[in-house]
Amino acid sequence: MSEMQKIVILPYRKVLQIAFQGLRIRLVKTFLVTACIALALAFMTYILCSNGMLAGIAERASDALQQRLAREGLLEQMLSTEQRSQTAWMLGIAMMISFAGIVNAMLISVTERFREIGTMKCLGGLDSFIVKLYLVESLFQGIVGTVLGIIIGVALAYAEGIGRFGTEALRLLPMNDLLKALFICFWAGVGLTVVGALYPAWRAAKMEPIQAMRSEV
Amino acid sequence: MQVETDSKNTAPAADVKGSTQAVSALTATHIVRAIGVRKTFRMGDEEVHALKGVDFKVNRGEYIALMGPSGSGKSTLFNMIGGLDKPNAGRVFIDEVDIAALNTFELAWLRCHKIGYVFQTFNLIPVATALDNVMLPMLFADVPQAEAQDKAVELLKKVGLGERVFHKPVQMSGGQQQRVAVARALANDPAIVLADEPTGNLDSVTGRQIIELLREINQTDGVTVISATHDYKMLSVSDRIAWLTDGVIERFASRDELDIKEGRTDAK
Ligand SMILES: Nc1ncnc2c1ncn2[C@@H]1O[C@H](COP(=O)(O)OP(=O)(O)OP(=O)(O)O)[C@@H](O)[C@H]1O
Ligand SMILES: [Mg+2]
Repeated sequence: MSEMQKIVILPYRKVLQIAFQGLRIRLVKTFLVTACIALALAFMTYILCSNGMLAGIAERASDALQQRLAREGLLEQMLSTEQRSQTAWMLGIAMMISFAGIVNAMLISVTERFREIGTMKCLGGLDSFIVKLYLVESLFQGIVGTVLGIIIGVALAYAEGIGRFGTEALRLLPMNDLLKALFICFWAGVGLTVVGALYPAWRAAKMEPIQAMRSEV
Repeated sequence: MQVETDSKNTAPAADVKGSTQAVSALTATHIVRAIGVRKTFRMGDEEVHALKGVDFKVNRGEYIALMGPSGSGKSTLFNMIGGLDKPNAGRVFIDEVDIAALNTFELAWLRCHKIGYVFQTFNLIPVATALDNVMLPMLFADVPQAEAQDKAVELLKKVGLGERVFHKPVQMSGGQQQRVAVARALANDPAIVLADEPTGNLDSVTGRQIIELLREINQTDGVTVISATHDYKMLSVSDRIAWLTDGVIERFASRDELDIKEGRTDAK
């Protein structure tokens, strides 16, 4: 077949267009998955921020606030080793729930489209096209969901902090630590979303088309 | 139409010569050639021999039906011919190119340009309109958007869905979905249309319409049609029938033989 040429590698612009078209058409599902990511991230950000605030009380709270908390018996409780290990546990569990939630949402949204992946391969879609398509899709959902979640989480943590400690809450967590926490949350959210989508997409893309079409996960 | 005995006579002669001329002469006749194709599925300890050495040649422009009872290996052979799965042994040539020797790009090219697939379960992209479904293979073939759109509309008209261009698969009947699938299969002017039980999920009238559509494409555009089927309605339009039993091709029957032997099923 001398006339045989190599198949075109679609430019990212085209892939982007297809990915967004798909996201728009599956609007409800896109929304649900993004909401799931946002929820997980809100949870994680909230826990990280409010823990940071509590940790800052001993060092940064004014004497007046410390005295008030001591009077209410709260200070001792907050600084007890028991409370601290409990907090660490909470943090760990929060992370795990968020991670599992995101990865699960992505796994499901990709595996339920294995047949579609197989079909695309039948029509001449390259493995790399499929991987790129899901990369773009999950990056978008990951970034939007994560940013939303972080905003909600920070807002919740500070709202609660202000409720408990007054405006001083804003000083309890130094800007540097806050940014560090947000940085961790952002990359955890986006990273988990992309990995959760790309792993099954890559697996399906590597399969023979008929296998991908047959696997009903 | 070339019959099996003819091609058997020409093939060895070409092999002896071995010249490029002989190869191109072969190319002219056999668009698909499968040699000793075996496929074994392993399920735990058990091995299922779905294909036990199948030899199968298809002439260019032929309409061939692959008949056989359920589980005889029709779909498995279909997948091997279409480059959708790999045989454990044996070789498949499309246009005299061994598909096992193709790299991923060439294989994708083959699936995109040479072959059009029609499945029993339609396999349309559920969220996309009929138009987008038909345009997808053209996208992979780098056809400019406007051109692809015009062609997709034209193809949808051809299969009788000019009014359903913007419908999604869920808004269409099975027969209409299968028409979209046929239009999609024709998007890049393939040399071969492979159809695995295209009428399997359709009622008998709709099934006949799809069969006639495939026949029309075969006759007007010269597209080779290979169809795996249980559907006896296929027999009346096929040039040749391959009977598959238990992983081997039991026999071939040409149209003429069929007209004589099974004249009653050939209700025209
Ligand atoms: N992925 C698979 N894993 C295990 N066994 C398989 C697989 N695909 C097919 N088989 C087996 O191979 C044999 C042939 O199957 P195939 O699907 O080719 O039959 P068929 O002729 O198309 O049947 P039908 O008319 O019911 O579609 C069957 O025994 C089937 O159980
Ligand atoms: Mg079958």
